[in-house]
Amino acid sequence: MAGRAAPGRAVVSGAFGRIGEAVVGWIGDRVGEVSGWVPLIVALVLVLGWYLSYSAGRLDRLHHRVESTRAALDGQLARRAAAALEVAHVLDPATALLLTDAATEALTAGEEEPAAVPTLEQVENDLTRALQAAFDDADDVRALRGDPLATESLDLLTQACIRVQLARRFHNDAVATAQRVRRKRVVRWFRLAGHAEWPLMVEMDDTPPTGLIDLVA
Amino acid sequence: MRIGIVCPYSFDVAGGVQYHVRDLAEHLIGAGHQVSVLAPADDDTPVPAYVEAAGRAVPVKYNGSVARLTFGPVSAGRVRRWLGEGEFDVLHIHEPVTPSLSLLALWAATGPIVGTFHTSNLRSRVMLAAQPVLRPSMEKISARIAVSEDARRTLVEHFGGDAVVVPNGVYVDRFAAAPRDPRWTGTPDRPTVAFVGRLDEPRKGLPVLTAALPAVLAACPGTRFLVLGRGDGDDALDGLAPAHRAAVELLGALDDEEKAALLRSVDVYVAPQTGGESFGIVLVEAMSAGAPVLASDLGAFRRVLADGDLGTLFRVGDPAALATELVALLGDPQRRAEVAGRASVAVRRYDWRIVARQVFAVYETVRMGADRVGQDPTAGGLLARWLT
Repeated sequence: MAGRAAPGRAVVSGAFGRIGEAVVGWIGDRVGEVSGWVPLIVALVLVLGWYLSYSAGRLDRLHHRVESTRAALDGQLARRAAAALEVAHVLDPATALLLTDAATEALTAGEEEPAAVPTLEQVENDLTRALQAAFDDADDVRALRGDPLATESLDLLTQACIRVQLARRFHNDAVATAQRVRRKRVVRWFRLAGHAEWPLMVEMDDTPPTGLIDLVA
Repeated sequence: MRIGIVCPYSFDVAGGVQYHVRDLAEHLIGAGHQVSVLAPADDDTPVPAYVEAAGRAVPVKYNGSVARLTFGPVSAGRVRRWLGEGEFDVLHIHEPVTPSLSLLALWAATGPIVGTFHTSNLRSRVMLAAQPVLRPSMEKISARIAVSEDARRTLVEHFGGDAVVVPNGVYVDRFAAAPRDPRWTGTPDRPTVAFVGRLDEPRKGLPVLTAALPAVLAACPGTRFLVLGRGDGDDALDGLAPAHRAAVELLGALDDEEKAALLRSVDVYVAPQTGGESFGIVLVEAMSAGAPVLASDLGAFRRVLADGDLGTLFRVGDPAALATELVALLGDPQRRAEVAGRASVAVRRYDWRIVARQVFAVYETVRMGADRVGQDPTAGGLLARWLT
């Protein structure tokens, strides 16, 4: 499997191999009867040890990336819900009520305990649909923007919707990468993942409302 | 925000990635951010104040074409020093799979890292062989940007995962407001056609254009072909009869203002590229300048030209098709004006004001929930021990 060596790995194994040989040579001189395969085994064990710690570090970094992208996604989702509440003030009462309901559900979903993924996806989907219903028409949005107060909160909402989309894509990208590394044999056989949960993608509809996006492009 | 940008290619040479990095950096600085660009350059090469020179660039053949790259222990050391001193909130690495500063920076850094992928022609065999080397580094990128749908597809094909598409940016107004130059402005008898690209790189399509030339001149005898670009065009031009050769004017390399003036003045801009194009920035520049575009129907060009709505397409590598379309365009000023008019409105979405906002949204997203950019103890240690 020489072709699968990472940069530096060959160099390191070579160096460790040399150290290993020196150590074993010293022991060999003292004990007097060391077979030729002992240096080889010592070298192999050292290389394996290095490879395991390297893989564990790599996996740890990926878990960290999964967590931080998840935190970013949660943050952006909260921002979107807050922006939706804010924007409700400038809408007609019926649309405002619909949006407030969906946004409040989204904001309080994780309050008692961290929201389970399916519930999170459900309430956020509901909010996406409520936003879509409220701002599906670019002309309506343009009319709303006559009011400077509305313009400001509409801009915030648009930015938040775009960032939710980005954050989810980056999170799922991290999850996909982590899943691939966790499926590797070395990770499974040596249980390098420990008790870390199997990372799951967040599947939800995050399409920003057409009426808001048309104005950005 | 403190932003570190890494450019793998030397600033001494013109190129799409370099222009992109320069314009993005200047736009972000204009918006009040602190930006430092790490790029290959000799210590005595004059560079803008925001560029940190990372050592001399050596011409190397990689991925099928010659590029000026920087690597080796001295550069690795400078990358680490730059990372240490920069205290960046976000690190933005361009073309991370190039064996140059980008890969070194990716190796040495941790934290919120954004990677932009410009190319759509990574060689599959090389990528397959290099996977074990590249993967662990690629895994450190927290947000991947592709400059086009084609670049995104290439990336996903080789490395899986996903990327967001943020197009290359252009300062649309600089092209739209450029003055016309009488030397290059066409008249009804002597229309002008511009070509932009390296003369000695066949995939830029100069041979396709010269092969179409006799047919075009037969129909429109006064047509002038203005060729902007470096390199040796002998291979493409030698085969032409003297009368045809006389219609070609080699302008050599032009600076940005002259290039804008050229595109603003000509009657048609032709892009006969035969492949390897990921985005087509010159098409966008020509559209900004109001030049009607005639381009080969590569995927990237089709997307920029909205399948022919914002410019004319011809079958890639087909000189006869190019000649037919070009003659038709030259004979129809009204159609030229209509297409160019539509294009100059649609091209706004590539303006830096909009593109930079999209890039910045990516920065803000990766920053949320992450620490600052730091040095990777494992890679830094290895580099320090074995390379410096």
